[in-house]
Amino acid sequence: MKMRIFGLAAVLLLAVQTGHAEDKKITIWWAQWDPAAALQELGHEFAAETGIAVEVYQIPWPAYQDQVFLNFGNKQTDFDIVVGDSQWIGRGATKGLYLELTDWLPEAVDVGAIHPRAARYLCEYPLGSSRFFAAPCQTDAIGFVYRHDWFTDPAEQEAFAARYGRSLSAPDSWEEFRDVAEFFHRPEQKRYGCSLLTGRGYDSIVMGFQPFLWAWGGAWGDPQSYKVQGHLNTEGAVAGLEFFKSLLQFTPEGGTNADYFFNLEAFSNGSTAMVLDYFPFYPGIVASMGDQVGFFMVPRHGDQRVISLGGQGFSISTKTTPQKQEWAKQFIAWFSQTAVQEKWISYPGSFTANTELLASAEFAAAAPYNAVFAASLDYLQDFWNVPVYNELLAAAVRHLGAALDGTSASADALDALAAEHEMILMEAGLLEME
Amino acid sequence: MKGSMGRCRDWTQYAFVGPALILLISINVFPLLYSIALSFTNVDLVGGAWKFVGGFNYAVAFKFAKYGAALRTTALFVCVAVAVELVLGFALALALKDRFGGRAFALTALLVPMMLPPAVIALFWKLVLNGHYGILNQCLGALGLGQPQWITDPDLKLLSILLVDVWMWTPFMMLIALAALNAIPGYLYEAAAIDRASRWKVFRRITLPLCAPLLGLAVLLRATDAIKQFDLVMAITGPNDPATQTVSALLYQVVFRDGKVGLGAAYSYVVLVLVLALASVFVRYMSRVQRREEAGAQ
Repeated sequence: MKMRIFGLAAVLLLAVQTGHAEDKKITIWWAQWDPAAALQELGHEFAAETGIAVEVYQIPWPAYQDQVFLNFGNKQTDFDIVVGDSQWIGRGATKGLYLELTDWLPEAVDVGAIHPRAARYLCEYPLGSSRFFAAPCQTDAIGFVYRHDWFTDPAEQEAFAARYGRSLSAPDSWEEFRDVAEFFHRPEQKRYGCSLLTGRGYDSIVMGFQPFLWAWGGAWGDPQSYKVQGHLNTEGAVAGLEFFKSLLQFTPEGGTNADYFFNLEAFSNGSTAMVLDYFPFYPGIVASMGDQVGFFMVPRHGDQRVISLGGQGFSISTKTTPQKQEWAKQFIAWFSQTAVQEKWISYPGSFTANTELLASAEFAAAAPYNAVFAASLDYLQDFWNVPVYNELLAAAVRHLGAALDGTSASADALDALAAEHEMILMEAGLLEME
Repeated sequence: MKGSMGRCRDWTQYAFVGPALILLISINVFPLLYSIALSFTNVDLVGGAWKFVGGFNYAVAFKFAKYGAALRTTALFVCVAVAVELVLGFALALALKDRFGGRAFALTALLVPMMLPPAVIALFWKLVLNGHYGILNQCLGALGLGQPQWITDPDLKLLSILLVDVWMWTPFMMLIALAALNAIPGYLYEAAAIDRASRWKVFRRITLPLCAPLLGLAVLLRATDAIKQFDLVMAITGPNDPATQTVSALLYQVVFRDGKVGLGAAYSYVVLVLVLALASVFVRYMSRVQRREEAGAQ
């Protein structure tokens, strides 16, 4: 009888221990789009090689940020890795949400092979500190898609040359861009010149405005002192905003509040000549429109060309078990290998920060937008990535929106925005109170 | 001196009331008091270290213009939405008061919007009002009319949300007004008919005064609900659009996006004090109306 009880106890103990053992699995949270599906595919390969299963949980873009930070409020997160937006890194690093990877990353990943702009904006906080809290997952940039068939139409070329005294081609400067947008803007035929990023939902108006701000000599502020006045509300910045605003006369109806999805629709429905969006949205357009479309970089003003960065890095949650953090590191190291990156970029919409691959002829030839994407990376810059980025973003959306809607003059909007940004940065303890 | 039976009865009473009381305190009173405490801290949604900041959050709520702007937007929304819903609801109730063929169908059809979840309604209307492919602009285009950008034009955004709210909640006003109309004794109308009172006089002296207490209650219920307006704003324009940012949308932005739980709590208490002040004025006014009615009846 005693033996039977002992045996039963041993079985129960084993059962309890098995129950407590962690599943050999990591969970990754990312937004719902093609690259996330591609990451899941690669996750299956990683599982086959290592026995560590990978689940990529996709959340619709509009709810992604809210759900991630709400989940970070728990004692333990439902994810082990979050593919976080570049702007989130300051909040993740300073609030103790992202595991610091400073010592581990250079040992496990060839940091020298990461494009310097991607390493700077996707992985590092504070900027220039060489402290890493993420590894590149999806490197991204904004760029233009245009109607190649309209541009190469002999009748259009002749009419354009007669009107502007030069040949019709993909614009290289913003001034050329304005001419082309004006030329193709024929609302009576339901044909429009361009659609830029002006949406008010999350960050699209900011991403759309930044190339003008920087190219015209302005900046969000001084990254060392965090002073904003004198950087954001300069004459150059106002001129940049005015130019941005002047282009909106060539957009379709509703073009003063156009987000990434509005622009996709404006181009896909065949009405708009040139549309600005992030590169991962373009494979679908190429699949449906083929050689009707072409791509070009965000134009320059004078010799200044600056492009809004997109993309997300892998960050490991501090609120998961050490074992899962270890598996997460294994996955990131595996994913960062050049051979895996080669597979990664073979999926539509998936982009790499690996300089060797970016420079390869194979990459340039693999998709019609790849060469333009690779060239764009050298001009990338990002919005603030400090812990209060969301308040800064929300204020920017409101004031820039007022300027584009005409409820506020450009200079007044930038003055008010600079003042509000300084208040937010002061409250956050980043800018010294005067 | 109480006997043992009396003491036992006391305990029995407490035993019956206790569980409900504990539940009420834990889900209503405790969060209310806890959020007061939070409003004096800089607690972040994602946790981490926090400290006591005194009245700093209250100072911020008054310093930034966006907090005042959200209050103004909410006040405008409540006044316009409730007023239009009251007038339309009462008009519909008057039209549906008498029995006629198809009345039951009309009543049922009118009540459908009220039965649907607000988030579903918001998404449905977002499609209808879309400037490009929305059915409303398709119809306007077919008639050769303009193409208003209902949900992106800063002058039309709030109006669009108001239209949806009116569509959704007018049936509620109609239902209460119908109940009030049906409660008016028929002999009053008969007496008025004998006195050859005009229809306008009957409406002004009998229908309106006798419906007023119930309509007042409906206004109070709708106003308290409209003050909390969130679903439509969130789904149609998002919580950070200055043209439509109501108090609830701003609170969402502050707490769930900026992560500032302390500031959100402080701001919600400022709003609570304002709402309580307005509600008490309204309730006093309604009590006075009711007393006057009762005095008139005597």
